[in-house]
Amino acid sequence: MENYRSKATILSVLSMGLGQIYNRQFMKGIVFLLVEAWSVFYFSGSLGRALWGIVTLGEEPRRLVRGKWVEGDHSIFILVQSLITLLFLVLFIIAYIMNVRDAYKTAQKREQGQQPNNFKQSVRYMLDYKFAQAFLTLPTIGVLFFTIMPILFMIMLAFTNYSAPNHIPPAKLVDWVGFQTFKDLLSLKTWSHTFFGVLTWTIIWAVLSTVTTYLGGLLVALLINQQGIKFKGMWRTILVIPYAIPQLISLLVMRNMFNGQFGPINQYLGYFGLGGLPWLTDPFWAKVTVIVVNMWVGIPVSMILIMGILTTIPKDMYEAAEIDGANGYQKFRIITLPMILFSTAPTLIMQFAGNINNFNAIYLLTNGNPVVGDYQYAGATDLLVTWLYKLTLDQNKYNMASAVGIIIFLIIASFSIYNYRRTKSFKEEDMIQ
Amino acid sequence: MKMKQFMALAATLTMAFSLTACGSSNKSAEEPAASGNETENAAKTTDNNEQTSPGELKPEDGASLVVWESKEERAFTDEIAKQFTAKYNIPVKVEEVSPTDQVTKLSQDGPSGLAADVVIFPHDNLGRAVEAGLLLANDTYKDETVKNNTEASIQGVTYDGTLYGYPRAAETYALYYNKSLVKEAPKSFDDVIAFGKTFTDKAKKKYALMWETGNMYFNYPFIATTGGYIYGKNGTDKDDIGINSAGALESMQTYVKLKEILPIKSGDINPDIKRSLFNSGDVAMDINGPWELGGYKKALGDNLGIAPIPTIGGKPAISFSGIKAWYVNSFTKYPNASQLFAEFASNKDAQLLLNEKVGSIPTNKEALEADQIKNDPYISAFAEQTKNSQPMPSIPEMGNVWSPVNAALPEIWDNNADPKAAFDKAAQQIKDLNNGATK
Repeated sequence: MENYRSKATILSVLSMGLGQIYNRQFMKGIVFLLVEAWSVFYFSGSLGRALWGIVTLGEEPRRLVRGKWVEGDHSIFILVQSLITLLFLVLFIIAYIMNVRDAYKTAQKREQGQQPNNFKQSVRYMLDYKFAQAFLTLPTIGVLFFTIMPILFMIMLAFTNYSAPNHIPPAKLVDWVGFQTFKDLLSLKTWSHTFFGVLTWTIIWAVLSTVTTYLGGLLVALLINQQGIKFKGMWRTILVIPYAIPQLISLLVMRNMFNGQFGPINQYLGYFGLGGLPWLTDPFWAKVTVIVVNMWVGIPVSMILIMGILTTIPKDMYEAAEIDGANGYQKFRIITLPMILFSTAPTLIMQFAGNINNFNAIYLLTNGNPVVGDYQYAGATDLLVTWLYKLTLDQNKYNMASAVGIIIFLIIASFSIYNYRRTKSFKEEDMIQ
Repeated sequence: MKMKQFMALAATLTMAFSLTACGSSNKSAEEPAASGNETENAAKTTDNNEQTSPGELKPEDGASLVVWESKEERAFTDEIAKQFTAKYNIPVKVEEVSPTDQVTKLSQDGPSGLAADVVIFPHDNLGRAVEAGLLLANDTYKDETVKNNTEASIQGVTYDGTLYGYPRAAETYALYYNKSLVKEAPKSFDDVIAFGKTFTDKAKKKYALMWETGNMYFNYPFIATTGGYIYGKNGTDKDDIGINSAGALESMQTYVKLKEILPIKSGDINPDIKRSLFNSGDVAMDINGPWELGGYKKALGDNLGIAPIPTIGGKPAISFSGIKAWYVNSFTKYPNASQLFAEFASNKDAQLLLNEKVGSIPTNKEALEADQIKNDPYISAFAEQTKNSQPMPSIPEMGNVWSPVNAALPEIWDNNADPKAAFDKAAQQIKDLNNGATK
């Protein structure tokens, strides 16, 4: 018995495809060789620059020489290009490892006296036994470049000083600063004060807005579903209308309705002899306003959801409870509520996560106002996400914005995972069939 | 089985194809940065530039331009683009971008080659744009531009000794008043307060005077008239912040006094509400810019009057002025055609057309003397106010001023905060922003 294994392995380590050719799988070997040749061609032109780029982020800014612009390095372009090249490198390394493993395994089979598959057989083998893997390769590459890469890019920005006015390419270079941005955010008084203030309000908002819309939707759904209620369809339609109007319109209209001086809300209150409230101009009342308006927008969603679940609860459970002498409240507490909570818990968590990032409600209704004197580019009702928007688009503080973005991600991810793992629907997936 | 095979083969092929496609496109994207090609190109185009004599720029062959313009003034640009195309045979495409967003958009799209060739923005953004290397200097038409336009406008579009812009309009605000309610334009804010005591009626929602009390732009007279300022040395020294100086606080006393005749929270005043109240006669006076002129003329007709802003502490009120100017994107493929357009769209005729279409105040000296401007009582009132205005500082640090001051003003207006304390805090924030707090 010859020792094919080590020879095939060494050959395929030397160059992709050599091991396969040694194993007499010529077509396969040539395909691998072509991949290798193309990769060497590609990487020889770009890998050095990618490594240089990712380390230095450019050395020469675009500059004026005797009244003419001379092109230099655009740090952000360099960062993206380097990232793409490095991702290709990762793919190439994976392909290389697969190539070595393949050569090794085929050689092993040859040692055992099996004839290696010819190309046609290889293809057939792949189609019959590795169909899913082969078919998933394309989406995986798509995910890598269209989902993973932008996220990596955003994370990397948090570790640079990419911000106005001193580090905006192409006239200025961007540099790596490590954790400096996070340090500034948490330790510099002006930034940390804003950050913790906005963070606290974001959490309060997320909890309150989720709870109020959920309970409100539950209440309305139960009321409409009571026996003896007439025109159920009409009630449902009326209550769903707020959800059907685009928020872009309804919230902007609300902004004027709640105007402390000229808005209809305060005018109504005036007719009843009540003094108006500073709905949008006082920090506390502005927070109340956004929560109230969010109930108006959000209750229909919960209502529809819960109505759907109410129909799935078997009627005989209630009949049995009635025979046992349960009153209405007991039926609700022991049958209805657990069933609803069980089915909606995952949605509830999604709603909570969504509310942390509820950009529309805040941006359209208050735009983060009223302003707070000692906040950095934020107002009393700004959530982390609207603050992030202001930092990016109004102030060009990209590094700070991506640091905030990473923190939002960590908060939402940890909350969601923790809560989700604790819900019954996760633990007892098969309770309802 | 056959189907499955076919599908898989197709998948593998697409995969292989997409891999190569990705690779090659990436390669070409990298080239300009990697090689010296671009530098040569830049040198070549500028060489062209030198060969032709100044004033007679020769547009590049096959040039076509993209221009950014605001929605409000698009009527003018569409018309001037038509004239330009007729004269030089260069197609011009107009895209709507809000002028205040243009520098941000240019800094993103410029290097990628997606931005407009000629852009327009108010001059307080100039420093930011120049520091980011986004603009070509106005060198070919320098002498003509300087000669033909007012000194203030040239100062506004010059940064660090280099002329960048092609000024086309000056903007400031003045006092609009409703003649049927106010017989004669008030001379001082004391007159305004005296009138307000007879007119303002919170219960009936009638107010003598209304303006955006939380916006630094409109409240600059209450800072600058008695000696306050934003940045020292004509707005070029970022370390000399003057919003909390004794002069500024003196003017602020008038601001505080005005609360009596406008007992509304600043957050409740927004342009929409103000416009509708002024149009319906519930607000007698409004401090606003020329962009409202068309609408107000339509609503009030002959009852509309415009006067300079009332005096503060016996001195004529100093307003902020902004110069709107064309600028040429430094990444443009057609620098010559772009400069031609910027020049063409800012000369005397163009400024008069702009005035006719949207009611702007020209910066061109000859245009200012034209009958069209002189005989227009509204425009001449704005021109009068312009004489007492200061251009906004254009250094990049100007961007750090707005939010702190726009937060301090409502504190004073709504919560009766002490102006000195509020402005000290704002000044400290600006200083932090300027010096490293944000790097």
